[in-house]
Amino acid sequence: MIRASYEPMTPESVRSATFTSSRLGRRGLDEAEVRAFCADVSDGLGRLMNDNSMLQAEVMRLRERLLEGKGRSGVQPEDGHVQAVYVLSKAQQTADRYVADAQEYSRELAEDARMRSDEILREAKVRASMILEEAHTSASRAAEAARTLNPVPAAEQQELQAEIAYLRTFSDVCRTHLRAYLESLTQSIEAWEQAERSGARAARAAKESAAQSPEHVLSATTGTRARRTPLEGCPPGGSPAWR
Amino acid sequence: MDERRLKESFASAAAYGDEVALFFYSHLFLGHPEVRDMFPVSMAHQRDKLLSALGQIVADVSSHDTLLPFLRGLGRDHRKFGTLAEHYPVVGASLLATLAHFNGTAWNEELARDWTEAYTVIAQVMTEAASNDEALNPPWWGATVVGHERRTMDIAVLRVAPDLPFGYVPGQSVAVECEARPRVWRYYSMANAPRHDGTIDFHVRIIDGGAVSSALARSVGVGARLRLGAPVGTLRLDMNSRRDVLLAAGSAGLAPLKAIIEQAAGLDDPPRMHLIFGARTAAGLYDLADLEKTAAHRPWLTVTPAVSAEHEYRGETGTVADVIGRRVPPADQDAYVCGSSAMVSPTVNRLKSLGVPQNHIYVEDFGWSES
Repeated sequence: MIRASYEPMTPESVRSATFTSSRLGRRGLDEAEVRAFCADVSDGLGRLMNDNSMLQAEVMRLRERLLEGKGRSGVQPEDGHVQAVYVLSKAQQTADRYVADAQEYSRELAEDARMRSDEILREAKVRASMILEEAHTSASRAAEAARTLNPVPAAEQQELQAEIAYLRTFSDVCRTHLRAYLESLTQSIEAWEQAERSGARAARAAKESAAQSPEHVLSATTGTRARRTPLEGCPPGGSPAWR
Repeated sequence: MDERRLKESFASAAAYGDEVALFFYSHLFLGHPEVRDMFPVSMAHQRDKLLSALGQIVADVSSHDTLLPFLRGLGRDHRKFGTLAEHYPVVGASLLATLAHFNGTAWNEELARDWTEAYTVIAQVMTEAASNDEALNPPWWGATVVGHERRTMDIAVLRVAPDLPFGYVPGQSVAVECEARPRVWRYYSMANAPRHDGTIDFHVRIIDGGAVSSALARSVGVGARLRLGAPVGTLRLDMNSRRDVLLAAGSAGLAPLKAIIEQAAGLDDPPRMHLIFGARTAAGLYDLADLEKTAAHRPWLTVTPAVSAEHEYRGETGTVADVIGRRVPPADQDAYVCGSSAMVSPTVNRLKSLGVPQNHIYVEDFGWSES
């Protein structure tokens, strides 16, 4: 406790007494409790001092009366002065008390306001850090999501590869069909040529049967075509892999 | 004059405590109401001061080496209150009446003579010192506030221009009175080395419930008038020392140390200085920007800010004493410490544990318990 030893103890000195805080890790007293107790002691001391000065005045008065009774007569002018001194002292003490109370009140208000502002700041900081943390979390979640989203193009790639594989197969099939078609076309041309040759021989053999030629050839071609459609049953009718 | 009798009679009166001073002032004001105006409304603080001054005088009555400078200082100091030579006998009469009253039947002619004699000497030393000072200085310096900047919720920086040249040594402080709180004087340190334009900066920290500090920080503005007493204080740079300098500032305790830094900046060969500037919160480091600017092109100056109540602070955390323990090598150096009582005593203890001798530690305790 910081207090010069030669200073008399007064309600003010009790109220404004400061204590050094105990070192970290050592047990200390609750500061608010100590303060409240000092305020109580200060009030009590002030009351006692008031009472004391009133009693002193009373003692003085009685002592004077006693001396009076023992032969001194009349009120001494000094006695009147002492009475006046006590009256003025009382007035001064009352004024001091008012000022001290007002200051105490403003101190409490200011302290309270400071504590609240600290609290508000602390809360704001907590909230800010929470918001920041949230932002961090959602950012890292987004990053995580980005990482897990990568396989989607991979799937697409797979699909594409499957498609490429299908297309490759399709083109092979087409080529095979095309070749088969071309072969069959060549065969039918050959067949047609053969037919024509044999027709020409027949015409040469029997000149009068001319009605036979174009119509017959045509129907024969159509028949060949219907029989040898190469792409039948294949895409682009609709393979399940295609669409 | 019997010193033993003097001490005994004072002790028996002083046992009544506050009441003695209460009686003394009431007696004085009843006899001389015109004197009342020289005092503030609330006399509680005043009574404490009277009793402690009287106690010190009586305790030192036989050791003139300490008593005389104390009385001279008291005499000079009382000029700013408007105390005149003719007030001294009036005060003496009330003092004697008070002592007589509280000594009751033990009071006698001899004691009255002893005290009259003692008081005459006291008054003589005080009035002489006052009149010697009159030739050199005004009773007080009138000053105008020319700048007022609220830096944080509870710290304001005031710039004032005294009417007359006001000489002081960096590190000193001065009693300040403002119109809003008449007759109440509080000490503030000059926060700059003397300037060509004569302006002075004060760093005012609001004390919860403090009458003067809150008025200076809140109600006083540019253009307001202040009264300054004579500069006082022994915190000043030891120019003969070749040791490194450690400056430990708690909050507005920075003021006198900043003045010392500015003083050093004007020297041809400034000592190496390390300032540790502590506050509860980062926002409380109200003058850090300016300090860092000063340190930026002065290789002999290091500034370390420290915050004690915000663990997330990126710099040094903990009290000034903690930071000294971490950052200052154990060695003999000159240390200047200024801040609240709660900051000063652990800081001084830490310095001692680092091997800094007591006589190389200079302290200004702001107390911060204004009433």
